[in-house]
Amino acid sequence: MNAYGLAPLLLLFPALGVLFNGLVGRRFVEADARVGERWSGWVASLMAISSFVVAVLLFLTLQANEFHAMVVPIMDWISIPAANFYVPWAIRVDTLSVTMMLVVTGVGSLIHIYAIGYMHGDPNFSRFFTYFNLFIFFMLILVSGSTYLVLFVGWEGVGLCSFLLISFWFDRTNAAGKAMNADAGRKAFIVNRVGDFGMILALFLMFWTFRSLEFGTVFETAVEMFHSNHVVEFGLFSAPIGVVITAITALFLLGATGKSAQIPLYVWLPDAMAGPTPVSALIHAATMVTSGIYLIVRSNVLFELARESGPVIFGVISSPDLVALIGASTGLLAGLIAFTQFDIKKVLAYSTVSQLGFMIAAAGMGAYVAAMFHLVTHAFFKALLFLGSGSVIHGMEHGHHLHAHGHGDHHEDVFDPQDMRTMGGLRHKMPTTFWTYLIGALALSGIPPLAGFWSKDEILAHGNEHAILVYVVLALAAVCTAFYMGRQLHLTFFGEPRHEAAEHAHESPRLMTVPLMALAVLAVAGGFLNLPYLTASLAEANGNHPAGIFLGLESWLEHSITAFELSKEGIIHLPHTPIVLSPLVAGISTLLALLALGGAFYVYRNKPETAVDPDPLQKLKPLWWFRILPFETFYMKFVVPPFNRLADWLAFAVDWNFWHDFVHNNIIRDMFVSFATFLADVFDKFGVDGTVNGIGSVTKGLAGVIRRTQTGFARTYALGVFLGAVALLAYFLWVIF
Amino acid sequence: MGNPIIFLLLAVVAIGSAIGMLTSQNAVHSALYLVLNFATIGIFYIVLNAPFIAMVQITVYAGAIMVLFLFVIMLLGAEQLRGVTDVHGGERVHRAVAGLLAAVLLLASALLLFQSEAPTTAAPMLDTSPTALGLRLFAGYVFPFEVTGLLLLASMIGVFIFGKTKKRGKDA
Amino acid sequence: MPEVTIDWYIALSVILFTIGSLGVLLRRNAIIIFMSVEMMLNSANLAFVAFARHLGDLDGQVLVFFVITVAAAEVAVGLALIVAIFRTKKTINIDDMNLLKG
Repeated sequence: MNAYGLAPLLLLFPALGVLFNGLVGRRFVEADARVGERWSGWVASLMAISSFVVAVLLFLTLQANEFHAMVVPIMDWISIPAANFYVPWAIRVDTLSVTMMLVVTGVGSLIHIYAIGYMHGDPNFSRFFTYFNLFIFFMLILVSGSTYLVLFVGWEGVGLCSFLLISFWFDRTNAAGKAMNADAGRKAFIVNRVGDFGMILALFLMFWTFRSLEFGTVFETAVEMFHSNHVVEFGLFSAPIGVVITAITALFLLGATGKSAQIPLYVWLPDAMAGPTPVSALIHAATMVTSGIYLIVRSNVLFELARESGPVIFGVISSPDLVALIGASTGLLAGLIAFTQFDIKKVLAYSTVSQLGFMIAAAGMGAYVAAMFHLVTHAFFKALLFLGSGSVIHGMEHGHHLHAHGHGDHHEDVFDPQDMRTMGGLRHKMPTTFWTYLIGALALSGIPPLAGFWSKDEILAHGNEHAILVYVVLALAAVCTAFYMGRQLHLTFFGEPRHEAAEHAHESPRLMTVPLMALAVLAVAGGFLNLPYLTASLAEANGNHPAGIFLGLESWLEHSITAFELSKEGIIHLPHTPIVLSPLVAGISTLLALLALGGAFYVYRNKPETAVDPDPLQKLKPLWWFRILPFETFYMKFVVPPFNRLADWLAFAVDWNFWHDFVHNNIIRDMFVSFATFLADVFDKFGVDGTVNGIGSVTKGLAGVIRRTQTGFARTYALGVFLGAVALLAYFLWVIF
Repeated sequence: MGNPIIFLLLAVVAIGSAIGMLTSQNAVHSALYLVLNFATIGIFYIVLNAPFIAMVQITVYAGAIMVLFLFVIMLLGAEQLRGVTDVHGGERVHRAVAGLLAAVLLLASALLLFQSEAPTTAAPMLDTSPTALGLRLFAGYVFPFEVTGLLLLASMIGVFIFGKTKKRGKDA
Repeated sequence: MPEVTIDWYIALSVILFTIGSLGVLLRRNAIIIFMSVEMMLNSANLAFVAFARHLGDLDGQVLVFFVITVAAAEVAVGLALIVAIFRTKKTINIDDMNLLKG
């Protein structure tokens, strides 16, 4: 079958959803809340599902056509023949982009359906789904673009949608009067911008060096230039190609740290939890934050070339190694911070940052398929966890309402339904949520045979073989993961309820629990996408083919990653070794995870008993230190105030006083007035009037002279006529003779 | 095209009457000289084998138009008006220029005539009876004929309008 | 005996025309001027008829027919004009009709 041509539909469906909800959705909801919500929500969800269907069709097409990559053009965008620079709107259908498409649309559809139930009763119901569909649209542009520039369009677009969705309830203020949702959205946008700055510089460098932004052309040119030791001229100075590629990849890393919340730009992600839970699930767990990893995996050719260039950055480290280092350290740091959080969603947020660190570290080590595998499984169970936490929050809010109304006192205490200290014992009150949440938590902790085990252990195995430091750090991070998930499970679901809200909580409606169950199934079964060889001999028996016992993600992705098919003939090959199950690594990580889980249950077995009791972990001062959030504090103390001062100075001194008052009033206005005066007094009076009057007086004089021919004597006129006639006759005579 | 003696005779009469009309101080005498001129021209027409035109000339020109002239001269009492005889400076220049131009005209014509090499043999005699003339007129010149009718109508209307007086009872 | 050719008639026509034009230019009596104009027309008629005879074409005579008609109409209107002017100005001296002086 050949469904390549259906690719543009992928983008069309979400766009239609945006138009529907944006233009008419509001009227539907306002007319009749129940029916209108159904229309608005289901149209949006159906658009997402339709895109999923298209992605499945593209998947089947690739299967049927030997995974042949295809670029489906839509229209021309930039076309500068003089510079040989062409950037079309085109969709690249290859295994990597189809993987991302399936994840985005599949998980996205489930979350859309969940959101119909979650956002019930919100007056801005249709606006939410407009933004949601818009996000899917931009995310699909990001993953399906055939050039870096189109990818960047999607990159910016998802940043915008993230901002719109985080600050969805922008007019809510907290007790201190600060508009915290709006602040969180702004923070996300601005911090992302720092990363985008890196992206843009990388694009500039890329164009300057390779004269193109199209994936195939760039990779091919890069490999050629690398093997011919090309030197790039920058006008005043020049640099060998290895340095340039390192610079490009390092700038990509900067962009990825912004989008995928790594050190030092992860600070927006925890604050982004101010948005509705479906937003957190979709954008900040499954899709947008993975775009940094997608970028690095897509540019694997460049990163491998950078790796071959050796330690270029400050002569100390090579670009991919820096990637791995940042990823690993982020994984550990975020894991440690997660111990100290009380908000159920903040724990998951830091968990996301930590897991993204795993993926980035994998990509940095060269295990691109492992990174993608973990991306896919993480999308499953992190979305599950977020949606589950949304269900918990929902239940807590309902319990609070019931309790408050039942007791008559109206919200005298500031109740935070997301605070885990007020929860407890919810496993009896919300069983479906509990069981699915448990599955998600175990998957995240890496307990076999759930999905997380396979993907995380592939990364750990790769680290163990190739980069031992990374392995150690990531292993510690995995321990932290298991510990804080155990802590969260216990605080939320086990023990006794610590607040009346938890006492009265009840299960969420089916519209919310069914997606939870679907995701739970995926979290269990997802591991089978890429099982490794169980022993080394099996790998040899299979001809050292990279794919494991189940010809899964590895062989699927190798067509896009290790063997990048160019739109012209030729394939760039990168070396890759088969993944073999390392019993040592797997055993150690499983053991440590179980120990951590057990340890968490032990520490928190009875405590805290009430909502205001201190956390038992506070006794361990070094661990609790991470509560001060090192990076955030640094930024707020040393980065933001000088910036604000600079902005104020520019606004008042430069823009207002200098530009407006001085330049506009004195210089421009005075110049204009004097010019106008000149025109009026000199030019108009003497020039124009003089000309016009002069014409008049000349005409008068001339007329006075000519008037004398009008004697009034008829005979003079007759004489004139006769004179003319005779003259003519004389002329004719002269001509004849 | 006729006997030279008759031509010369008639020519002398024509030119003489013309000059008489030009120089006569009495308006009635001028009119009568003009009548003589017209009659002579009429005879010329007969010589030139245009009998119908000759009749028209006598009837319309000499008979109607000149009579009209005489009527108006009588009406205005012009037979009693003497021509103005003051000759001031501007008048002299005027006369000199007119005379010069007339001389130039005559000279030029003489030149033309003596220099031309056109054949001077006349064509054979034609049938110029009124019938023939009528046929030619109405065959090729119907439209000008009709327009001329309109012209006469217009002139009649014009004369009528010019003849109207504002005051009642007073004669024209 | 010299033959009477067309040249003779042309010469006669020219002489009559010149005399007529002199009359228009030199005389001050409006009616005399008018009569001179008639003479000019007449000289043209003579030339037409002479040429009709010379070329053997009747069209010359047809044209004379028209000229005479038009001259008649013109005389009527012109004399009515002079009479109307006389009623106001009590003079037919053409030099006195100089109201169009600029």
